[in-house]
Amino acid sequence: MKNLRNFVLLSLIFLLSHLVHSHHAFTAEFDANAPINITGKVVKVEWINPHAWVHVEVEQGAKRTIWMVEGGTPNTLIRNGLTKNSIKPGTVINVRGYQSKGKLCLPRCIANGRDITFPDGRKVFMGSSGTGAPRDGSDPKER
Amino acid sequence: MKNLLLISFALTLSPFSAANEDEHSDMHDLMAHLLTPASEAIWESSGYVITEEGEFSLEPTSEEEWQRVLYGAKVITESAYLLNIPSRAKDRKEWIIFSNLLKDVGEKAFEAAEEKNVESLFEIGAELYQVCVACHQVYMIK
Repeated sequence: MKNLRNFVLLSLIFLLSHLVHSHHAFTAEFDANAPINITGKVVKVEWINPHAWVHVEVEQGAKRTIWMVEGGTPNTLIRNGLTKNSIKPGTVINVRGYQSKGKLCLPRCIANGRDITFPDGRKVFMGSSGTGAPRDGSDPKER
Repeated sequence: MKNLLLISFALTLSPFSAANEDEHSDMHDLMAHLLTPASEAIWESSGYVITEEGEFSLEPTSEEEWQRVLYGAKVITESAYLLNIPSRAKDRKEWIIFSNLLKDVGEKAFEAAEEKNVESLFEIGAELYQVCVACHQVYMIK
């Protein structure tokens, strides 16, 4: 009975959240005109609600920059095939996304992640659908 | 044309526009001072931080920390009632549905906190976010 209630509740949320076509959470914080494409080593993963965060250390010559990349909720990521154990610290990943509107990178650069590519070539969508992020082909639900 | 301009001017000064501003500010206060900190109490009570040194759980480690989660859950439930007050409710349709969903999530979070069930709190944290986002998509003032 409890499971049925949860199912109905989640279905209702899903239906209601798809009644509208736009959401301004993305545009409030991130710049759709500032795409990023970074490659670096995972140094920290925050597997937390409401957004998971992947910290990536990017080396450019002698300079090292930490990028904090925002993902969807952990539950969304699990549905997309990402678990807390699949983004291990030390793994070198490529991330595509969009930088925050504040671009000073102080103390860290912040970005909204769209997809992660692992060393074996596997690419996984790491965002959430319907956030207002550009329709750039990352989200399989947009196709 | 002149009349139209006069009416527009009068409307901008009318109590209706002041009421809308108060309404916005009231809603903003409720979100900023009640719902946001209460939601953060739920979100910060579960999850993991993983570094090269290992995996650290965020679950509460003292009675005081668990009390914060219980308090947050109760505030979420009670905020749902506050959102349903006729002067705040934007309509009697989706608004009521979202408020009731919020109440359900608050009650579930309270139950999970009483049982100190961190896994359940983690699931409920995601549900809470979904309810927030779904409602903001429809009603948030840009």
